[in-house]
Amino acid sequence: MTAALELKGICKSWAEVEVIHGIDLTVDEGEFVVFVGPSGCGKSTLLRLIAGLDDPTAGDILLSGKRVNAVPASERGLSMVFQSYALYPHMSVRANLSFGLENLRMPRAEIARRVMEAAKLLQIDMLLDRRPGQLSGGQRQRVAIGRAIVREPLIFLFDEPLSNLDAELRLQMRVEISNLHRALGNTMIYVTHDQVEAMTMADRIVVLRAGRIEQVGRPLDLYNRPANRFVAGFLGAPQMNFLRGTIAGAGTMALDCGAIVNVPLAAGVDAQPATLGLRPESIAVSLDGTGDMTVTVQNYEQLGAITYIYTTFPNGETLTVQQSRQIPLRRGQQIGVTFDADSLHVFAGEDETALMLKERQT
Amino acid sequence: MGVATFLTRTKGTADRARRFGIADLLAYGYLLLGVLVILMPVAWTFLSSLKGERAIDGFDTRLLPMAQVEAEVEGQGVKPVWTWTAPDGTTRDVVKAGPTRRETDVVALDDPDTVLRVPRTTLAPNERIRVATENYLDPILGRNGQDNFAFFTYLLNSVFVTVMATLITLLINAMAAFALSKYKFRGRLTFTILIIATLLIPSSIILVSLFFVVWSFGIFGSLWGVIIPAAATPTGVFLLRQYMLTIPDELLDAARMDAASEWRIFWRIVLPLSLPALSVLAILSVIWRWNDFLWPLIVLISDPAQHTLQIGLTAFSGEFDSDFHYILAMTVVSLVPITLVFVWLQRFITTGIATTGLK
Amino acid sequence: MSVVVLALAALWIGGGTLWLLARRRYHWREVPAFAMDLIGVPVDLAQRLFGRGGVPYALLLPNMLIFGIFTFAPMILNFHVSFTGGASIHLLDRPWVGAANYGAIFDCETYLSPRTCSNEGYDFWTGMFNTLAFVAVQVPVLCIVALLTALVVNRNIVGRGFWRAMFFYPVMLSPVVIANIWNWVLHRKGALNAALGGSAEGLTAMAGLAGFDMVVSVVFAVALMVTSERALRGSLAWAAVFGLLFACVFAWANPLAMIGLGGSFWVGPVLATGVVWAVAIAHRRARWAVASASVVSILLLLTVQFDAVFAFDRVRPVNWLVTPNTGWPFFWLVFVFCWSHMGFYMLILLAGLQAIPRDLYEAAKMDGTKPARAFFRITLPLVMPTLTVVLVLSLIRSFQIFDEVWLLTGGGPGRETFMIVQHIYETAFTGDRPEYGEAAAGSVLMAVVIAVFTFVQLFVTRRQSEF
Repeated sequence: MTAALELKGICKSWAEVEVIHGIDLTVDEGEFVVFVGPSGCGKSTLLRLIAGLDDPTAGDILLSGKRVNAVPASERGLSMVFQSYALYPHMSVRANLSFGLENLRMPRAEIARRVMEAAKLLQIDMLLDRRPGQLSGGQRQRVAIGRAIVREPLIFLFDEPLSNLDAELRLQMRVEISNLHRALGNTMIYVTHDQVEAMTMADRIVVLRAGRIEQVGRPLDLYNRPANRFVAGFLGAPQMNFLRGTIAGAGTMALDCGAIVNVPLAAGVDAQPATLGLRPESIAVSLDGTGDMTVTVQNYEQLGAITYIYTTFPNGETLTVQQSRQIPLRRGQQIGVTFDADSLHVFAGEDETALMLKERQT
Repeated sequence: MGVATFLTRTKGTADRARRFGIADLLAYGYLLLGVLVILMPVAWTFLSSLKGERAIDGFDTRLLPMAQVEAEVEGQGVKPVWTWTAPDGTTRDVVKAGPTRRETDVVALDDPDTVLRVPRTTLAPNERIRVATENYLDPILGRNGQDNFAFFTYLLNSVFVTVMATLITLLINAMAAFALSKYKFRGRLTFTILIIATLLIPSSIILVSLFFVVWSFGIFGSLWGVIIPAAATPTGVFLLRQYMLTIPDELLDAARMDAASEWRIFWRIVLPLSLPALSVLAILSVIWRWNDFLWPLIVLISDPAQHTLQIGLTAFSGEFDSDFHYILAMTVVSLVPITLVFVWLQRFITTGIATTGLK
Repeated sequence: MSVVVLALAALWIGGGTLWLLARRRYHWREVPAFAMDLIGVPVDLAQRLFGRGGVPYALLLPNMLIFGIFTFAPMILNFHVSFTGGASIHLLDRPWVGAANYGAIFDCETYLSPRTCSNEGYDFWTGMFNTLAFVAVQVPVLCIVALLTALVVNRNIVGRGFWRAMFFYPVMLSPVVIANIWNWVLHRKGALNAALGGSAEGLTAMAGLAGFDMVVSVVFAVALMVTSERALRGSLAWAAVFGLLFACVFAWANPLAMIGLGGSFWVGPVLATGVVWAVAIAHRRARWAVASASVVSILLLLTVQFDAVFAFDRVRPVNWLVTPNTGWPFFWLVFVFCWSHMGFYMLILLAGLQAIPRDLYEAAKMDGTKPARAFFRITLPLVMPTLTVVLVLSLIRSFQIFDEVWLLTGGGPGRETFMIVQHIYETAFTGDRPEYGEAAAGSVLMAVVIAVFTFVQLFVTRRQSEF
């Protein structure tokens, strides 16, 4: 089976400034791939290169094995959902859906059939004669998706489609897009800066930073085995805790905050400065102050099911703890914390890549 | 709330209502002066155009079109009727039977055979209101020897020039504005500067050489010689460019993803979305072309069949310097279309030009 | 020429139709769509051949072609024509005469007096000086009136839309219509003279009534007291009304005549303007100035004989547009030009005024700023960029005045209102022997003057707006 999309050494410059530095990626048929990264990481640019709206400075784009660098956007057979929906404000919903098909010189009957089908699927069939200005945010979103569906494209491209919706609607649309993917089975490429969307929707996540791919993999793989400190910090909320320290030799790490932690490092790691990473949920607390270390409670948030505790070490480093129970707390209280040795991460070196740990080598 | 407060309150919601101050008084005084200076001359021209030739020649400054009643008198033809006030206060309708002297011979209409000798001061013209439709109908229909004002030809020419020029202007200006606002290409800055330069070249300093150019293209003396040179307006390009810059690029990208060609994007997406700016330009263009004077005068003056309404009216006014009643009527005729358009669209025109036109 | 045009048109329409129909069927309802597609065939062709990069050039082509042929080419050609002579309209037939056309214009004994020039020079310099005088008067008057009108219609008044439309209406009228209207109003036996005569007669009749002097004196005294009292509180509008009354009383009382001097008519308004100015900028002597002006005006009021002031002789009708050496033709030209163009500049200024954020005024009000001060410190500086645009536009427009003059006065009486564009037009296009070279030389010189003026103006206003 040929890959739906293949990128080979893609580079893009805007007037001397290179924003995409050589990206290689393969997307399989039917896959849901999410590009995620902070704003300015080049994820939208990459999507526009795939769509054909911009031309790459170097590298090849292959769709179903055919090189399409010189093929204009209109002939690549892709469709795209834009951040602002980009619905034509002067056309009815029906005209919005059929515009692309008319451009492809499709027979009228076929256009009507496809529009009706897509409208039914998205439950916008009673809105067909309205203008986009008369629709709510969620309805506009559906129309935008409908416009992509009627083309029956090779690949759907989504450019941060949910960022203009409120939280509740975003949740709902997230589920709907996932369902849509299951129903249609098309390849989808989805760009977002929201790691929750990435984690919940993706078959595979591509984490981008400053025009480079940091890591590609299944969501939980990325969560559990981040390749470097950036990926570790980007995925997961609240963010992973990072504590500075030094690898003191085989299996131990001396933290700047005073504690000595056992880390099951693989053999052959030199003594060097490093960062210890641990997720907020993999820390146990004891209110009587016993544990590996003692920290001071600065602030806390009781959400009922979950409690977030924001604490500091004596040297000023902060530690966020997440507990899935209700805990009586007050500010300034000294509590003891214990780290779960199985979910520690160690990052070292210039680009802070993750060091292999013994237990995880399997 | 007292009646005085109510009457002197200016427009606004209750909490913002304030008393009518001296500044408001001055403002309304100024507006009143404006009515006097702007509307009065036009209204005066209109009222004058309804008056008969005799009233116009006599510079009758009364508002209403008064005309002296005329009556057929046996053996003397049609004569103006006067009202004679007899010493006892009774009045009779008379016509003059001889030259006007201190003591004038008159005959009464109801008794044409008796000649009365009455003092001139007891005679007053017997007048009634009469709208002089012949002022309008004679030149338009070519009656009474007034066949020099080919009204329908002029109107047709004016409409043709205005409509064609406006259509061409809208199309090519919108195309240029689309290119300058939505594409990045080598030379974009150069083209923009060239168009700014055109904005600063007054048309009257290139009159002579433009004449040579138009002559060499063989369109001198034809309506196209008026239409084409003025079709590309820098103002229009700028106005549309500024407006098109506000259309989101994503919409164009969406259309590209929808397999639309660039031309299709232009006329299916960009043109409909620029409608507000396009209509402002259309109005401006109609005003410019309808009222254009100097260039049509140069190009079209030699062939009366090609005259526009403005040139025709000028030639007519020049030829019949004394026939003010016809000139005024034709002035009103050429003023009516633009006035109707204005009254119909005035809110749109003023707010459109003020908000869209010059950002 | 026309063969090429026809061939191109045939190719475009025929070829385009075939091309479009080969790619797509059009429903009969889609005729407009087909027409638009047909117009765009060259652009589509450009996209096919050169990709998306070729499209903007294709889109710009028609507009730039017309600009090039009918604006830029004539601009260059003007120089060429100005160095040639003869009456031929074939460019290649025209003999090269060097700078002779310019020489004729500059053939003067003293440049300040056109009478000492050759015929061509006389026409050119008369036109140039008249135009300069016209511009010098017209531009400031137009800008001030437009700004004033914009300020008035920007107020919270009843029927704002109507007033705006009314002031804009003359812009819609054609020069011929405007000229005919004003010719009719300004005629010797026209409405203006009739109105002036009528009101003079009415006032004279009123002045003849018994007790007129006393009644008017009392009315004026009360009005002066009320307005000066309000002006003392710092209200600019009241101060303006007071200034107007003061100027009238001063002119009628003619106090300077007592010491054997003329000119009361001018001194009064100057003093009044001074008082209003003092109030406007909230000068610390403003109260003192208003108080002394009101004392002076009450004293002067006692000496005014109102029945004499309002007793007019029979008003002799003026032939406004044709009486030489009165300045009236020139005045009415300025007036009519202002009348017909003011509305456009008013709208531009109105847009500028409305772009000023309202909360600036609200903040000023919270600070207890007087309206007059708010005008000078907020409105004027913020509307300055728009005013600069209006200045430049009206300058270029006033320089090109032709239609109104040609139709109203024909440049007369004598050469009093003979403008430069009329000189160019008459030299090139009227008369038996057209002097195209001479006219082109005049155009080039006029272009130079306009360019200099525009740049000076831009430079000056830019320096101002830096503060």
